[in-house]
Amino acid sequence: MIEFKNIVKKYKNKEVLADLSFQINTGDFVAIIGASGCGKTTTLKMINRLIEPTAGKVFIDGEDIGEKDVIKLRRNMGYVIQQTGLFPHMTVKDNIEIIPKATHMTPEDIKARTCELMEMVGLNCDEFLNRYPTELSGGQQQRVGVARAFATNPDIILMDEPLSALDPITRAGLQDELIDLQSKFRKTIVFVTHDMDEAIKIADKICIMDKGHIIQYDTPENILKYPANEFVLQFVGSKRIWTSPQFIKARDILLENAVSTTANSSLFGCLEKMRSTQVDSLLVVDAKTKRMEGVIYAEQILREKDLSLKAKEVMKKDFVSIGPEDNILEVLRIVQQNKMSSIPVVDENGRLSGIITKSSLITTLSQQYITEEEA
Amino acid sequence: MEVLRFFQYAVQNKVQILTLLLEHIQLTAMSVGLSLLIGVPLGILICYVKKLSKPIIGVSNVIQAIPSMALLGFAIPFLGIGVIPAVVTVLLYSLLPIIKNTYTGIDNIDRDLIESATGIGLTKLQVLTKVQIPLALPVIMAGVRISAVTAVGLMTIAAFIGAGGLGFLVFSGIRTVNNFQILAGAIPACLLALVVDGLAGLVERLVTPISLQKGKNMSLELTKKTRRNQKVILAVSAALVIGLFGYTALSGTKGNERSIVVGGKDFTEQSIVSNLVADVIEEKTDIKVKRRLELGGTQVCFSALKSGDIDLYIEYSGTAYGDTLKYPASSDVDEVYQTVKKDFKEMFDIDVLSQMGFNNTYTLTVKQETAERYGLKTISDLARVADELRFGSTLEFLNRSDGFPGLAELYGVSFKSEIGIDGSSRYVALMNDETDVVDAFATDGLIKKFGLVVLEDDKHYFPPYYAMPLIRGEVLEKYPEVEAVLKELGETLTDEVMTELNYKVDELLMNPEDVAKEFLEGAAGAM
Repeated sequence: MIEFKNIVKKYKNKEVLADLSFQINTGDFVAIIGASGCGKTTTLKMINRLIEPTAGKVFIDGEDIGEKDVIKLRRNMGYVIQQTGLFPHMTVKDNIEIIPKATHMTPEDIKARTCELMEMVGLNCDEFLNRYPTELSGGQQQRVGVARAFATNPDIILMDEPLSALDPITRAGLQDELIDLQSKFRKTIVFVTHDMDEAIKIADKICIMDKGHIIQYDTPENILKYPANEFVLQFVGSKRIWTSPQFIKARDILLENAVSTTANSSLFGCLEKMRSTQVDSLLVVDAKTKRMEGVIYAEQILREKDLSLKAKEVMKKDFVSIGPEDNILEVLRIVQQNKMSSIPVVDENGRLSGIITKSSLITTLSQQYITEEEA
Repeated sequence: MEVLRFFQYAVQNKVQILTLLLEHIQLTAMSVGLSLLIGVPLGILICYVKKLSKPIIGVSNVIQAIPSMALLGFAIPFLGIGVIPAVVTVLLYSLLPIIKNTYTGIDNIDRDLIESATGIGLTKLQVLTKVQIPLALPVIMAGVRISAVTAVGLMTIAAFIGAGGLGFLVFSGIRTVNNFQILAGAIPACLLALVVDGLAGLVERLVTPISLQKGKNMSLELTKKTRRNQKVILAVSAALVIGLFGYTALSGTKGNERSIVVGGKDFTEQSIVSNLVADVIEEKTDIKVKRRLELGGTQVCFSALKSGDIDLYIEYSGTAYGDTLKYPASSDVDEVYQTVKKDFKEMFDIDVLSQMGFNNTYTLTVKQETAERYGLKTISDLARVADELRFGSTLEFLNRSDGFPGLAELYGVSFKSEIGIDGSSRYVALMNDETDVVDAFATDGLIKKFGLVVLEDDKHYFPPYYAMPLIRGEVLEKYPEVEAVLKELGETLTDEVMTELNYKVDELLMNPEDVAKEFLEGAAGAM
């Protein structure tokens, strides 16, 4: 765990970091994001002590890093920056092996490890080992950079906008691989970026900074849905959520006051309720447990001659429903497949949470266009 | 035709040219090697301690701006003459490009790259040795290359203070208006500069990481092969230079035998007389003679004598009296000699031996036509028409108190213009009608060569300039026999003899060494 405690950084009179306190849990992939000059890179460089704080301390697993040997500290931490981070006069091999050699690992271990690392980042060992960085594409260079960061098998890896100089396709590919590497090796990765899409895509948690302060530090989902303030909203962009629709869940868009009835109501009573509320179906719910028992449609009632029958004798019991955690994409798919005008949302205990209707879907989906116009 | 004669000259003197070339290579290698050892660490230092960068670069800039002769002049009182001051002077000039390029090379490396190196856990020293120096090396080598090529040219000044090198041929060629000799020094120096430039260029390319080399249309295989060849060339060159040093070191360490170092100034008469002195000592005693001839001028020779770099040289009485001892000019021959003898012994423990038979005083000369046109016979005649004439004089004569300033006062001479031209070039200027009057020495062979008219010193202004051997006191004590040998030689050398000998060198382009040998053989035959 990396812990920032009351970190302040001043250059002359300019305050770059103002009383920063937050934690990065072991194994988390944290993206620090903000506009230029917000202090995100300064924050990152505090962790490997490229920049020392004016006040406050950084702890790693409870130990004050200010008291550790700085060279040892850095060697136990991967560091990746934009492609300039590779040494142009050294081959791929020398670039990856520079720290292992400095730490006096045995040559056999180094050799085996280098190939392993290259395969890990998807580079053919024989083909690339003796090439120079200038002979590689930007994406390949950055793969080497990542391999170098993993060379000493560190617990923490720091990345300072490692992908921002790459073209979008290469970049997306490397983002996927970083996610993959992270899930395989469970490193603690601190990743500085200015690209919100990137942060949302790869990070477990996002730390949004502005003028040396942390504005919001939360999961991507919460940041999208519950921006802490106007700044975050502006930064995230109010329609950003539409680029990540998987974060829009059924519970976020359901109507809670679904028109319902109980199993023992008469068909006549049901019909009256439909008329008064202008709906063509009722959800049948147990009054006490709120468990959903079935659906009854107006056309079913009209087919019956005896309107004194109970709802439970007529209602459809094999109804289609969705869970509150299902996202909007699934809702749309199910609605479309079943040609339904509405769909009940039922939690894992079978209790009715609410209903999503075609009109509520339209209202939700239209937000992205309406807010855009307003903006 | 001329080309053919030049080659004949070069072949005849091939041993001398080759020896001087090797000396030149050694001197240059020492200078550049040492300035590398000093310059690169200094350049690195000022990258880390930025406060020092301005003073250090400033000082090396200033050094670069000092004329090399002046710097050499400063060095002589501290370092004497010979190899050390020559190497130090050239070293100082070589420093600037090396310091500057080291600084620029290291300072211009991408800061992100350095931060990346630091961030992954390299120590400061590792960042320097593994990242900064390798990346700056091509730029540093470019500086070394400039230094080395400049040093080859600059090293010609070494001859001025007796360190040898190709400058010896250039200077002595200029002095005797012997173009072949100048070329025999200049052409090898040029070729050497080209070779040095080529070799340094190879090093520059070799230290440039393959990945950063321009013109990458070569395959990696071919590049590696070329590199191997380049490395072989460099290794051989390095081995040769090291071998040269080794050879010199071995041949230089001869036993502690009886020897004496004879010095001499850098003009024809001095070359001849110094060779005569050296020859007779070698012939008539068992003392070995080391010759360090062609030293810059009075200051250089006298400093060298005081410091013990040389043991003996021929001085002129007037020079010692007026120039070294700073007495006001006197034309009393005996007074001048006795004063110098007494003062030198007391002040510097230098013995002044008997005056020789020739008085090489200053005179003024003009071309035959000029003399006829203006009816010039004496300096007083000249004074009347001087405002129509241009004076091309040696710098020394223009500046010394017993030279032109005193003359101008006594005769009331005021020329239309005065130009300082050193050595024999002033005769060339005179013959090309760029000047009308030159100063000359009474025994100068060039007077005879160019058929010049010597103007009579009708007011007896010029002090006596009798040649006289100066010898260090302790050396005379050790080798008292030298005194008699030199007295005997001095008596045979009259004004007429000296002019004749000078003429042989200046006009007939004979070597001073040969002229000296020939004269001694003739004298021996006559006796």
